[in-house]
Amino acid sequence: MANITIKEKNEIIDRYHANPEQTLNILVDLQYASTDGYIDQATAQFIAKRLGVTETRIYEMISFYAILKEESQARYVLKICNSAPCHFSGEPLVSRSLKEILGVNENEITDDGMFLYHGIPCAGACFQSPFIKVKDRVFPNLTAEQISQLISDLRAGRYPAL
Amino acid sequence: MVVRNQAVLTARFNKLQDPTDVETFCQLGGYAGLRKVVEMNKVDVLDELDQSVLLGRGGAAYPVGKKWRNLFYAESDTKYIVCNADEGEPGTFKDMALIANDPLAIIEGMTIAGYVFNSQQGYIYIRGEYRNMHRRLRQALTNARKANFLGENILGIPGFNYDIKIISGAGAYVCGESSALLNSIEGKTGRPRVKPPHLAEVGLYLKPTLVNNVESYANIPVIIREGGAAFRALGTDKGGGTKLVCLTGHVKNRGLYEVNLGTPLHDILYSEKYGGGSSTGRPLKFIHFGGQSGPIGAVEQLDDVAYSYDDLRANELTVGSGAIVVMDDSVSIIDYLTVVAEFFAHESCGKCTPCRIGTMRILELMEKFQRKEAIPGDLEIFETMLTHVTELSACGLGQSVSVSMFSGLRLFPEEFEVAINRQTADQKEVIW
Repeated sequence: MANITIKEKNEIIDRYHANPEQTLNILVDLQYASTDGYIDQATAQFIAKRLGVTETRIYEMISFYAILKEESQARYVLKICNSAPCHFSGEPLVSRSLKEILGVNENEITDDGMFLYHGIPCAGACFQSPFIKVKDRVFPNLTAEQISQLISDLRAGRYPAL
Repeated sequence: MVVRNQAVLTARFNKLQDPTDVETFCQLGGYAGLRKVVEMNKVDVLDELDQSVLLGRGGAAYPVGKKWRNLFYAESDTKYIVCNADEGEPGTFKDMALIANDPLAIIEGMTIAGYVFNSQQGYIYIRGEYRNMHRRLRQALTNARKANFLGENILGIPGFNYDIKIISGAGAYVCGESSALLNSIEGKTGRPRVKPPHLAEVGLYLKPTLVNNVESYANIPVIIREGGAAFRALGTDKGGGTKLVCLTGHVKNRGLYEVNLGTPLHDILYSEKYGGGSSTGRPLKFIHFGGQSGPIGAVEQLDDVAYSYDDLRANELTVGSGAIVVMDDSVSIIDYLTVVAEFFAHESCGKCTPCRIGTMRILELMEKFQRKEAIPGDLEIFETMLTHVTELSACGLGQSVSVSMFSGLRLFPEEFEVAINRQTADQKEVIW
């Protein structure tokens, strides 16, 4: 979490009054603030110390909740849905296309560190499948051409907000 | 006065330039419920809720009036109001739509609860995946505070102090289970508690707690404003009001619709106003109702069924979360249920053994059927496994894994039959 300073980490923790009952909010906010998309061990230890809990407690939370990650993520994490409503509404096109374009399997980061795609159980975008979700943004009703265009656009930095 | 075929929950959708703005919310009937409730006798409020026959909109369809009454008579100085916005049922996006388009309606409903139960603190537990909705809610709460609809001495009533906090989930389906959700709010891992005691007695921080769904809270101001009887008349006698339904799968017009309970299912599937019929040109085959934990119905058997709690129940179906996933005849029930089984195996929290191991065994069996490698006896093992997981699991997640599987078995037995190689010898030993 090289991009977040100690001061910024403290600000997030203090937003929740360093209350151990707010561990989840703190972890989620910290992870969203980071560019590498995960809680590294130094940060986990730092939070544990500030909240007065053990490092194990922090890792118990990180390993239980799917959104929290303990490994560095790609620059762009592409989320696809693998639940039944989407699976039978064309979502396999997305995983097939991504595998072909990026040359990696699900949950593997591309060599350049730019992309990773993985299935999530539901994104609440079931009426827009096949879709790809990057951070908060849903790219809906995709065709194979649009998927490949999206990857080039992301690679070229055309979505600075993501 | 509200009448049938009129938008109720979605009445303000797209009419609020800024959905978090309190002034325009009030101009469109917002906070009329709260203003009215503070003039009412609290027991009369409970009676109105009973009259309304509002059934819990999260999926379990527990009568909201009954839930409120249980909490009302629980003895404690501290009571908590919790809104379950951990919408994680695949095929459901109604809570997200309410939060995006009318967040203050949910806040008003929760504030009414705060008044009725003399509660000082409410919580909205919202799923981590809805990150942009967090901002929307936070803004709505800030605006409500500024207008003194939250905070101290609300509406100028001395001692009416109430505020709401947002807690983020982080991608655990099981946290939609009320007690797991409370554990998660307390900063623990979100695994369910053993019940009883019920949450109305021992809930958040061991205090009596009300946990209702987003849509249930959004309905509360409508009931107070219009009266319980008028609300019931929007639906049927066994379940009042309108329901937000989420149409997905192989229908032309996928999306969110508000329907009066009692609307013919045929209309929801085929009329241009709603689903608009098949999107693929192939006939529709089956519907998965109410989320992954809900039952499956065969379209050809449902021609005369109304979308209401009572009519669906009579056909062994449920409203559940309001998800209506429609599949055409190209989808085999085995393929479909294998994906459902994957979901449960993935989302089982691991606390109790029947669910942790059972969901995995169910998935393995489904995959065996899918490969057409099942042997005589597998079907019996499958059914026994489903029954075990249903009867022995600690919470609603494990208890409902079998619902879709059993309905699939009942409706399409021939698809399971062809997955079994009858040439192989019967299994001599039972595998457990």
